[in-house]
Amino acid sequence: MRRIVTGNQAVALGALRSGVRVVTGYPGTPSTGVVEHLLTMELPGRHVEWSTNEKVAFEIAAGAAWAGQRALTTMKMSGVNVAYDALISIAYSGTNGGLVILVVDDPGVSAGMAEQDSRGFALLSDLPMLEPSSVAEAYEFVVAAFEVSERARTPVFLRLTTAVALTSACIEVSDEVAPPTLAPGEPPGGETRAGESGGAALGRGVILERDIARYTKAGSKICLDQHRDLIERLNVAGGVIRAMGLNDLRLAGKPGGVGAVAVGSTYAYLTEALAVTGLKPEQVSILKAVATTPFPREEAETLLRHCGTVLVLEELEPFFERELWIAARRIQSDARIVGKLDGTLSRLGEYGVDEVVEGLSVALQDTPVRREGPKAVLASANREPKERGAVCEAAPRPITVCAGAGRGGEHDLKGEPSSTVLPLADLTGREDASRGASPTPAPRPITVCAGVGRPPEDDLKGERTASVLPSALRDTQGRRGDVEPAPRPITVCAGCPHRGTYMAIEAAIKKAGLSKDAVMVTGDIGCTILGMNPPFELIWNEVSMGSSVSLAQGYVHAGIKTPVIATIGDSTFFHAGMPGLLNAVQRRVPLTLVVMDNGWTAMTGMQVNPGTDDAFQAGGRRIDLARILPALGADRFDIVDPYDLPAMTTVLADGLREPGVKVVLARRECAIQARRHGAAAAVAFDAAKCVLCKRCIKVTGCPALGCSASDGAEQLGQNRVPGPSGSAGRERITVDAALCNGCGLCATACPTHALGCPPNVSCEQLGSKPARVGFNKGRGGQP
Amino acid sequence: MTRATRCDVVLIGVGGQGVLTIGEILLDAAAAGGVEAMFSPTKGMAQRGGFVKAELRLGAGDAGPRIRVGGADAVVAMERSEALKGLAFAKPGGAFVLYDSVWEPTGVMLGVDEYPTRERVLEAIAATGARPILLDPALCPTVGGKPASPNVFTLGALVAATVLSELIGADAVEKTIAARWPRAADANLVAFRSGEKALDGGRA
Repeated sequence: MRRIVTGNQAVALGALRSGVRVVTGYPGTPSTGVVEHLLTMELPGRHVEWSTNEKVAFEIAAGAAWAGQRALTTMKMSGVNVAYDALISIAYSGTNGGLVILVVDDPGVSAGMAEQDSRGFALLSDLPMLEPSSVAEAYEFVVAAFEVSERARTPVFLRLTTAVALTSACIEVSDEVAPPTLAPGEPPGGETRAGESGGAALGRGVILERDIARYTKAGSKICLDQHRDLIERLNVAGGVIRAMGLNDLRLAGKPGGVGAVAVGSTYAYLTEALAVTGLKPEQVSILKAVATTPFPREEAETLLRHCGTVLVLEELEPFFERELWIAARRIQSDARIVGKLDGTLSRLGEYGVDEVVEGLSVALQDTPVRREGPKAVLASANREPKERGAVCEAAPRPITVCAGAGRGGEHDLKGEPSSTVLPLADLTGREDASRGASPTPAPRPITVCAGVGRPPEDDLKGERTASVLPSALRDTQGRRGDVEPAPRPITVCAGCPHRGTYMAIEAAIKKAGLSKDAVMVTGDIGCTILGMNPPFELIWNEVSMGSSVSLAQGYVHAGIKTPVIATIGDSTFFHAGMPGLLNAVQRRVPLTLVVMDNGWTAMTGMQVNPGTDDAFQAGGRRIDLARILPALGADRFDIVDPYDLPAMTTVLADGLREPGVKVVLARRECAIQARRHGAAAAVAFDAAKCVLCKRCIKVTGCPALGCSASDGAEQLGQNRVPGPSGSAGRERITVDAALCNGCGLCATACPTHALGCPPNVSCEQLGSKPARVGFNKGRGGQP
Repeated sequence: MTRATRCDVVLIGVGGQGVLTIGEILLDAAAAGGVEAMFSPTKGMAQRGGFVKAELRLGAGDAGPRIRVGGADAVVAMERSEALKGLAFAKPGGAFVLYDSVWEPTGVMLGVDEYPTRERVLEAIAATGARPILLDPALCPTVGGKPASPNVFTLGALVAATVLSELIGADAVEKTIAARWPRAADANLVAFRSGEKALDGGRA
């Protein structure tokens, strides 16, 4: 069916054609039309929204894609700056369902803001980028982008420019709209189940994959592996793109002639410019570069080998052109490269026919072109520069009419090195004077494109060589001998209030009749992420500051049927968590947010944040989360003490059953800081009652608890005892009095009451301390 | 006789043991004595009971902070299992000081993960060609009824066992210790000297 649509609408329709399930965005001309168009449609089974900002929008889309659904997020170029913290993190983790990021750049700045080239972000994050050259291609390339995304398991950028996004054209649009969810591996029409058979139904096609090595960033080994995988995914994407034939290379004329690379929308002017210059398409080799990251190396090299001169047409920054120079060096091509780096074309403004004509003119000056019709005149070496200059000024330059006011006029570009444009009249009907004299490069064999993926090359080689191993890798891989160090996953400190929160979430999930494998608990940056490690293995992922709340919404919109919980620390919430919560409240997304408020920015060494007690604000003032959170409008708000396991479990379990946004403020000062304010008492241990079930260790993983077979095992502290090898005797549980602050969480796990309350604290107090608003600055174990 | 002008030390342990403090004291003592010094500790999650590593380079001039694999004149490890992560840096003829404390990770306590024996670790150290120097935690003294700081104890042994004794000198280190803990100088000096003495009996 042929319809008149804008480039933005074409993206919207292409996404529906692709079975997109979640579409998010933040308005920004020239990108606004995508979500706007979708919001005019009835789209059952799909979720479309304007989010709080581009970062939140991206994170929601990414959450849905991690859950196995196809998702699209849209923004103008400035929005990428906002989304990028999350974007680079997700790039390193890859995706499950297709994830497409539409960014519309605005060369010439029709709508204000920095004239930035978002292709730099694709390079920076090793993400594939497709750049449709027309409205029709915008429609087709969305479909292609989802395919590349899923086949290479990577987010994919789709980049339009104003000229495509805001232009209406009559294009062929399929009547077919795919149902939401076409993710690979989807059980046809069925429910995905968590864990073993009999696990909770998650929803149609929903993926929950527990793999902290892929979905978190907490540890150098994890991060280095992800970096390697990122590079490999881009290679795979390059192979997929090549196999799809998106970049179109047509060699023409004899070797040594002119070639042109047209990136994105510049291609649309090339045919017109050729006509103006009197050239025929079959006289110029053309690489239509619409998939620019990864750099289409084979096509570029083939073009360089065939041509004596290559003109690069790309708006804004010379990203492609630089790569072409590198490619030329790599294959020792002496082809002349005309573009921005030689001063011919400008880095400013939008391109039209004129700029392309200008570029072609310069490219033709020293390059023979085989002509069939009236012979074009080419600039000869002996031509007077002055004459050229004069002719140049006289050359007519028709101004292309363009929607919007910001088209770069002549004056915009005047500061750039002036080009040596031949008048159009000169380009036609003159003899090819230079032809015989000009050296023609010898024909070079054309390299046949290899299959999928670049050959394994220098990218990764270094990482596998011991001598250049980064220190983090040396630590784990550079050992000699076959005796291995014991794994030492990092856990929270003895007495850490977060331990209580993890235990309460686990207990609440159980109380709600669910298994941990069926409940998504998103994580965030800081100490709070340590719940990903044993013994909890509770938190699934970690993206960037504040992402937990938005990611959780992505899972909900992906159709997950089990409850979703987001966890975040106080400082992280202040940093970037609030926009995500606002979004959830505004959209009434059912989820529970647990703000783990220990009063400090703790992981980095106890810095002050807006929620830290007034006493430490150095003349500033504390902003109390207990007042901010309810003001943000959640459906339910509770303040709980994470040491108070029963109360917190009840609150969380209620939340899992209720609709709406539930916010739990789990408040208790960081144990390290609390200890500095006052002495703490260790829990009491009665060895006679201990049956050595080790539940205390299994449940809490507390560093203050030990299990030793050594004599004198109670003498711990910094003098940790020699282990089993050096001693004999019965294993026994030990409590390190120097570390323990008597939080009593281990006592709640002990079935025989061998672990009990510290001296002077009643056991009743341990299990049922009242929730408190202020920070407890006294002994950890006492109210 | 040629005076030593360089010493590269790798320090390894578990967050909370005071491993980084060893490096800081040596850094201060070196600076006080006019010895070029560079100290590069791991930070972040190290303070949460995780793996800690630091590199101390004395007299290395303009070199970078990282010590080459197989290039440490001394490796100091304060936890038996973590000591294995220092093997890669051990240098034939260099010292490998092991304060043989045991901090079992949860997985080991629960019987899920293996934990190396002292013998296996010493064998592995010996296989690198470095001199193993074993410090039994039992040798760490008590002062006034309280256990002395094992890190300062280990520092004493480290200085005595390596060229640090001539490069920086035990006196300079003692001065730095006393200045760092004015109210606990005596206890820490006892710990330091015990470490020096323990070396005689503790050399494996």
